[in-house]
This record gives sequence, structure tokens and C-alpha cells, in this order.
Amino acid sequence: MTSIIRSRAIAIVLLAALLSGWTPSVWAASPEEIDQKLKAMEEEMRALKQQLKELKEAPVPTAQTPPQGAPPGVAAAQFTPQGVQPQAVNKDILGFLPTPIEGLKLGMYGEFKFGSQQNPDHNGQWQSGFDAARIVLLPSFQFTDSIIFNAEIEFEHAGFAADADDKLNGSVGIEQAWVDFKVNPYFNVRSPGVDLVPVGHTNLFHEPTLFYSVNRPTLANGLVPTTWSAPSMSVYGKVVDNLNYQVQVSSSLEDFGSGFGSRTDRNTVPPFPEGYEPGITGKTALALSRPPLGDFRQLSNVLATAVRLSYTPPFVPGLAGSTSVYYTPSTTPRGAYSDTGLPLKRSSLTLVDSEVRYRMPETGFEFRGEYVQAFFGSPANLRANNNTDPTDNVGRTMWGISGEIAYHFGLGRALGTEWELVPFYRYTYQNLQTSGFSGSDENTPNGSGKQQIQTTGFALFPGKRLVLKLTYQNVTDRQRGGCKCNYVLGGVGFYF
Amino acid sequence: MPRPTAWVRWTVPTAIVMSIAPTAYATRYMAVEEAQRLAFPTATQFVESHVIFRPADVAAIEKLSGQRVQARGQQVWRAQADGRLLGFFIVDYVIGKHLLIDYSVALEPDGRVKAVEVLEYRESYGSEITSHTWLQQFVGKTRRDPLAIDKDIRNISGATLSSQHVTEGVKRLLAFYETCLR
Repeated sequence: MTSIIRSRAIAIVLLAALLSGWTPSVWAASPEEIDQKLKAMEEEMRALKQQLKELKEAPVPTAQTPPQGAPPGVAAAQFTPQGVQPQAVNKDILGFLPTPIEGLKLGMYGEFKFGSQQNPDHNGQWQSGFDAARIVLLPSFQFTDSIIFNAEIEFEHAGFAADADDKLNGSVGIEQAWVDFKVNPYFNVRSPGVDLVPVGHTNLFHEPTLFYSVNRPTLANGLVPTTWSAPSMSVYGKVVDNLNYQVQVSSSLEDFGSGFGSRTDRNTVPPFPEGYEPGITGKTALALSRPPLGDFRQLSNVLATAVRLSYTPPFVPGLAGSTSVYYTPSTTPRGAYSDTGLPLKRSSLTLVDSEVRYRMPETGFEFRGEYVQAFFGSPANLRANNNTDPTDNVGRTMWGISGEIAYHFGLGRALGTEWELVPFYRYTYQNLQTSGFSGSDENTPNGSGKQQIQTTGFALFPGKRLVLKLTYQNVTDRQRGGCKCNYVLGGVGFYF
Repeated sequence: MPRPTAWVRWTVPTAIVMSIAPTAYATRYMAVEEAQRLAFPTATQFVESHVIFRPADVAAIEKLSGQRVQARGQQVWRAQADGRLLGFFIVDYVIGKHLLIDYSVALEPDGRVKAVEVLEYRESYGSEITSHTWLQQFVGKTRRDPLAIDKDIRNISGATLSSQHVTEGVKRLLAFYETCLR
């Protein structure tokens, strides 16, 4: 063993000498001289090891007298020599455990819902229930200070299980996974991965502590199909102070609403005349059109582009907002057809979202507003207009608007935290069945896509990371008998 | 064989990332030295120290600020001009959403906030807190101010956690001044 170490040491010395330009003298040395040098180096290494051991075992300096140059009047505190950083307490795993791997962190957020809601499929009967809506794990890893991996792993509706006695019918999925390359404040690159499409506010910031209703705002449940993530890559940064941008290229939305298993091995829709569900409809907007995230099973080669500008104008303190535009040249899936057997050609989609949030300084008032509109290039090529269902047709556009007012009441400190109560009211109108229909279907929309939604309730924050919610939502639409989809729900949301 | 356009479409992103990766460095808004010069332009010397907390210091800081102390100590510089004390310069760290935010707080000798700067921001969202307008709100604050989001410091929607945690950090540092520097 000693000879192996020695021969390695010789090799290292030779290499080091070669690199540092001492080659001639080494070549000139005799074996005895080299042996002496090695022994000297071994002695030196032994001494250094001993010094290192002593340093490690030494207690943290406890000098009560501040060193020269230390701040005055600080005799109570203890000082380390310059260059020795005070160590932070490592609680990177869920905020209370040390991470086993430097750079690895794990966070979590989640929400549970319970209460009573009308079931439109049972003539509006009020039914009580519970939903473990989601638990999301947030691992991140810092390869370096500027190369950072982020992910969200989501367990929806308590996950899934194969056994009948488990009664689980949820899902587990990767909602986000990407690597950020931080270049400078103006230009950063997000690697190809699974990322949120930068449209609107709720799609990007959807932790339950960031909105006040139990369910996400209605405009974020169809017109913006949250949680909308897609295979994508981005560049982002700031344009100037208070104005940021993100430009993303992603797999296009697909006008295909059937299950994943309905895709053929040829990555087409099921062959005619089997039929398939539309991804874009006058009832569910874009909710079913998200592209799949894996297995090379996207149904078109089309890439979409999204641009988002977010702003916090300094001349209106408390105001923030964003404007986003999403464009895809075609949402038509490979092999698309009408129920009459005609192939469906391309149809572009442009989605525009603009939203503002305003917290009035030094008051409890808060206002939020959002406008979303989708424009369809060729409605005649949308599946909903060619699936023999005359009630889910789509016109040339869809749009929605909402406004919300909330007030923050501070309730003081109790149980070790600052409590806050936020009553709110939100009005939403959306029209998913506008004019401009074209296609092979009969066009007799039932009015279910023209909805007026009033949402009110309160959110009680025992701290910024925990919220208890109670929400009542009333929906009126133009179908006979009404929507029959009101609800009274309670919720618990958390983030840590 | 794929068409050249399709080939380019899928390889360009990879090429961009590969070419960016070697040049990537931290999203540094300001170096420590820059922040020091900006806060104390007339200083001729910055004397560095590292204060190691005793349990009594931790208890006092936590009581004064209402914030947990998660570090064993604090890095602090004394800004001087010809031996005269101009103030203190402190570098500190808070968690944004997942990742650390490096920021600095400059204090007048009497403990009023002179300047707050974000040095490095690593989160993917929420960099709005680096805005000069937002950071300017801290100037002049003392330990007696509430230093609370939506009270005397505005929240930034979309950067909620970052703005909250930096505010809490400044509050903790003012308590640190009161406990260890005053």
C-alpha cells in the first residue's frame, strides 16, 4: 500500500513540476534526492493535517472583548475572526429539518376543500363532500448559485391506488420541472422542461394563500386552463426597473379532450368513425386542451409562443399587473375530422389576458381585475363545431371579465402569529358561446356558456402561510333551469 | 428524415442552453462593495466583524423583532471616515420562496435605516423586490416602526413571499442593532 501511495505521490510531484516549469531540475535530480523531497513533503502534510485537526476541534472563539475595529458597545456579543462566517441554521427540508445534501430544498403547499355544492348532473341536488384537492411537493436544487433546478410534484385528490378498498381516484403528476440559468437581471434562460405557461396571474401564482375563494377564480378554470403547464423553454428578466418580461415557446394547446389512452400509437386522434371529444368547447372553454407532458405523445408538431409583461408602476404605489399574449398557429390535432368524415384543417388560437391588482396603501382595501379573450382563427375547424353536439359550439371568440374587492382586517396577535381576516366579493362574467359559429353541427347553443358568477366569503389568515376559507358562489346562466352549480365550501390552504 | 425547419426548431433550444450554461453566473444586482459605497460614499474604511450570538442575544432579538433568529451570528461592517463612525453596514440572507435572497442594510449610527439593497436574487419570480422604489420605503425606519407588510411597507403582488421575508429581515436587523450594536 505504501509503495502505491509513494508511486502516486511521485506521479503527482512530477506532474506538478512539469506544469510549474521545474521540469529541468526534476529530470536532473537523482533518485535519492527525490526520495528526500518526498519525505519532506510527507512531513509537511502530516503537520498540516495536525493543524487542521486542531482547528476543527477548537471551540468557537468566545472572546468577550471585541477585536479592534469592531462596532462599539458590543461587548455582550461574541466575535469571530474576520473571514469566518456565522453559520445559518439549516432547515431546508419543509422548514424544520436540515437537508442531507447541500443545495437541496423541499417545500410544500396544499389545499383541502369541504362543504356542500349543487350537482348539475343530479338536477342541482345539494350534496356534501370533501376533497383532498392537492398536496404539492416543491423540491429545488442549487447546482451553483446561478444554475437552479425547480419542480412541483402534485398529488391531486389524494392520489391514486389500484386496490378497490383504497377508494382513491386522483393523480400524481409533474406540474413543473426545469433548470434556470441565471445570467443577469435582464436575461435568464429556463431550460427545456415542464413549465407553467405565462398567461395571467393565477396560473403562475396559484398557491391557496394567494387568492381568497376556496376554488380558483372562474376565469382561471377554463379560459385560462390552470394549472396550465406545458413542455417548454423560456427566456425572462427585467426590461427596466418595475417592468419584467417572459417569452416562452411551448407545445401547442390541442383541440383534443379525450383521455390519454385514446391517442393512437401513430399519435393521431382515434380513427374515423370512432370519434373523440373536443378540447375546446363552448361549455368548458380551453380546460381540456392542455398538451400532454410526456412520452412524445403530443398530437401536433406545432409550437406556441407566449409573451408576458408584468409591471409594478412606481407612480401608483400598490399597483401591479400583467399583460400576456399566447399564440399558436394551430390547435388542430393530427388526423382530426368532423363527424361527417371531413378532415379538419388548421385553426389558430390567440389568447390575450390582462390583469391588475391594487392594494391601496395604508388601508385594508384591495382590488383585482382581469380580462381574458380567446380568438379562434377558423372556428369551422374546431372539433366542437363538428361533433354533432349542437350545444357546445364555439364562435369566433370567447371572453371573460372579473372584478374583486377585498378588505384586510388585522385581528392582532394570537397563538404566536398575526391574524388577518379578508372578506371579499368577486363578480365574473364570461361568454364562451359568441357569434361567428361555423362548422357542420346544428348551432343551438343552450346558453350554459354565458355565465354570471358572484362569489363572496372570507379568508382567515392565522399567518401568511396558512389560510382558512369560506366561500359562497352563485352562478346564473342562460340555459333552461339555470346552471344549478352553486356551492358553499370551506377550505384549508397552506404553504411552507 | 425530418425537414430542416423541424430539426432546427428542436435543436436551437438545446444549443441556446448549452451556450448559456458556461456563462451563467449568479443574478447579482450589486456587489457588497458597491452597496457599501452607495450607502456610505464618504467612507474611507469599512471594518468587518462577525458577531456570534449568545443565547441571550438571540432571545432579545427575537423578542424585539418577533422574528426567529436562524443564524448563529451576523456579519457587520463599521463605516468610517478618518476614524469617525458613519454607520453600520450589514449583509444578511432571507429565504424568498425557496431560495436565499442576499441583501444589505445600511444603518445610521443612531440605528435609522439608511439604505436597503438586494445583492443577489435567485428565485424565478418576484424580482420586483429589487425595485429601487420598493426598497426606498425602508429608509428612515427604526425599531419602533411596525415594519410590516401592508402596514408601513407595501406588498408586491407576485412577489408576496419575497417582499414579506425581506421586510421581516430588516426588522430583525434593527433588533440586532438594538441588542448588539447600540
